[in-house]
Amino acid sequence: METTPFIYIFLTLAIYTVIVIVFIWWENRQMRHSLKYKEDEMGRRMYEVSILKELGERIGYSLNVQKIVDVITGSLRKLLPYSTVSYLLWSDEGRLIYHCVLEESVNKNFLEDVKKRIVTAFSALIDREIKNSEVDESVSGTITDESNEATVKSFFNIPVVINNQPVGLLSVSSTEEGLYKEAEMTILYTIMNQASTAVSKLENILSQEKGKLNAMVASMADGVFMVDTRNRLLVINPAALEMLGIKNKQVSIFDVLDALASKLDIRTKIEESIKFNKLIVEENIKIENRVLRVLISPVKDTDQKPLGAVILFHDITKEKAIEKMREDFTSMMVHELRSPLTGIRSIANLLKEDSVKKEQKKYQEFVDLIVTNSASMLDLVNDLLDVAKLEAGKFQVLKKPTNLSAVIDSRVLSYKTLAVDNQIDLQSKIEPGLPQVEADETKIGQVLNNLLSNAIKFAERGKVTVCAFMLPAGMDLVEKVAGLGMVWPGLTPKSVKFDSDAVALAVVDSGIGIPQDQLSKLFNKFTQLEHAAASEKKGTGLGLVISKGIVEAHGGKIGVTSEEGKGSAFYFTLPLKQHG
Amino acid sequence: MKPSNTKILIVEDEEILLTALSEELKQAGFQIVGAKDGQEGLDKLRAEKPDLVLLDLVMPRMDGITALKEMKASPDTKDVPVVILTNLSDYDKISDALSLGAMDYLVKANYRLEELVSKLKTVLERKGNG
Repeated sequence: METTPFIYIFLTLAIYTVIVIVFIWWENRQMRHSLKYKEDEMGRRMYEVSILKELGERIGYSLNVQKIVDVITGSLRKLLPYSTVSYLLWSDEGRLIYHCVLEESVNKNFLEDVKKRIVTAFSALIDREIKNSEVDESVSGTITDESNEATVKSFFNIPVVINNQPVGLLSVSSTEEGLYKEAEMTILYTIMNQASTAVSKLENILSQEKGKLNAMVASMADGVFMVDTRNRLLVINPAALEMLGIKNKQVSIFDVLDALASKLDIRTKIEESIKFNKLIVEENIKIENRVLRVLISPVKDTDQKPLGAVILFHDITKEKAIEKMREDFTSMMVHELRSPLTGIRSIANLLKEDSVKKEQKKYQEFVDLIVTNSASMLDLVNDLLDVAKLEAGKFQVLKKPTNLSAVIDSRVLSYKTLAVDNQIDLQSKIEPGLPQVEADETKIGQVLNNLLSNAIKFAERGKVTVCAFMLPAGMDLVEKVAGLGMVWPGLTPKSVKFDSDAVALAVVDSGIGIPQDQLSKLFNKFTQLEHAAASEKKGTGLGLVISKGIVEAHGGKIGVTSEEGKGSAFYFTLPLKQHG
Repeated sequence: MKPSNTKILIVEDEEILLTALSEELKQAGFQIVGAKDGQEGLDKLRAEKPDLVLLDLVMPRMDGITALKEMKASPDTKDVPVVILTNLSDYDKISDALSLGAMDYLVKANYRLEELVSKLKTVLERKGNG
């Protein structure tokens, strides 16, 4: 029995060998398996990287989700086998887009089944019923084949989520069973997720930018609205609504057209602007109390493709009013100069006639007419030059210490005769101890001349008083006037105060007075000349405008109080210490 | 109608123009009455019964348009022909006056005497024939 141990040993060795071989085989198999797994994993990684790269290159900064999904579905066969791939997405118009790509010729029932599955899944996802009528369907890829009786055996959905909102579903299906493992689904999910994140970020940035733009448009003083190429209203700001008088909350282009009806054919202008790619400007569009300038400008995208038009309303009511005043002023001025000039020419012609030359009295009358009329024309021209200088800032005052009571006395003296002729009691009332003031004596004399000649003109047999007094900073004029025992027509306690110590001068008359609504117009050159032309009293009315300029050049203020039937008080201040 | 038999009322607030027009038309042979505003013009119109009125538009107290309206409202004065005197390039006012029944207008600034006289004669003849 010597062989028995051998056999025993042999058997043992054989078993070990088998075990080792099996083990090695197993190990090898495991290793190969793991290698295969790693290869697959690598393949999927490669796919992930390549598709993301492709997405990046082909889509760039596009916000078009459909385009992104198209790229993914188009390259899906690199990742996994399938019979159909389809997607369901919200469109911009609020409808659902269903698109199915056939990789294999399946039958119509297969397609119906796939569509039903995706619609049901999306309906559950958004928690809302989806009607067939709201889905726009399209199919591409290979043709259907009714002889293929294969049914849906493998199927999975990946949601498309933008800004945490489900906007669609991507679905993959196959006629083969058990095809899709977690790994494939995960990678598709990852890709979809990354693309969605990119779009979400872009949308956030855009909505921020849009928010800034909207805030800017909303706060503009000009009215703005924008339409697309199909004349749909995209945006309209509050200023535009106000200018057009639109009050409804939901605004459409028809509200805008109604508001502009019979004033401006805006629809035609918009079409013209887009068609010929030019800015159109419409002047003087009158809506209610406003005068508007309307600018219609085409809007294009970066590829010069027309997107629509932006319409801007600029309120030019004030400009128009000033323009009108200016025109009135010019025509009044021309009237004021041309009228006497025409008379002078006619009279001068008559002076050449022998018959006039012989009549001594008539001759003298005519010569006097020429003298007085040319003098008043010269006054007007001088006044206009003063006003022009004031406006150009070239009006000069030469200030030196001035004794105002002397200036007042000399003015009162020179107007005494005229006052007596008009049966007017002209007096002066100067507060004792009045300090000297830095002033241009001649110019202040000119202001007093203006105020005195007006007062005497309008007093009509009454009383005219020139007064001067100290007005300390912050002291109410009413208080001071009352303290001096004077009564000024129309001066009511409404706190007329000045913020520096000043000497106040005033010319008070007991004349016809001035209506309250006219008071503010007295110092305006445009309204003054207009008023002067219709008045029976002679003069250009520019005296007050010039006086205001002179007083302001001294750093003082000019004002008036008046009561109809009682009279007026024109006053001005000269500050004791010059500011600035 | 001879100028010497024709009385013209001139309503014009600008003294020198009133004097010049009066003298020129007197020399052309017309009888002249002058007034310095619309109110005085209406008074003189009733008192003097002129054959024609030369009426300024921009005047104190009563302007030309108001005076013209009052004139046309009264049966005694509504048929007296009116020629508007104007110095403004204010075509609105001129057309207002013409639509109120004024027969013609004269721009004061550049008038020539011959032009004025021939205008007055034409208006008077039209009136005479009508």
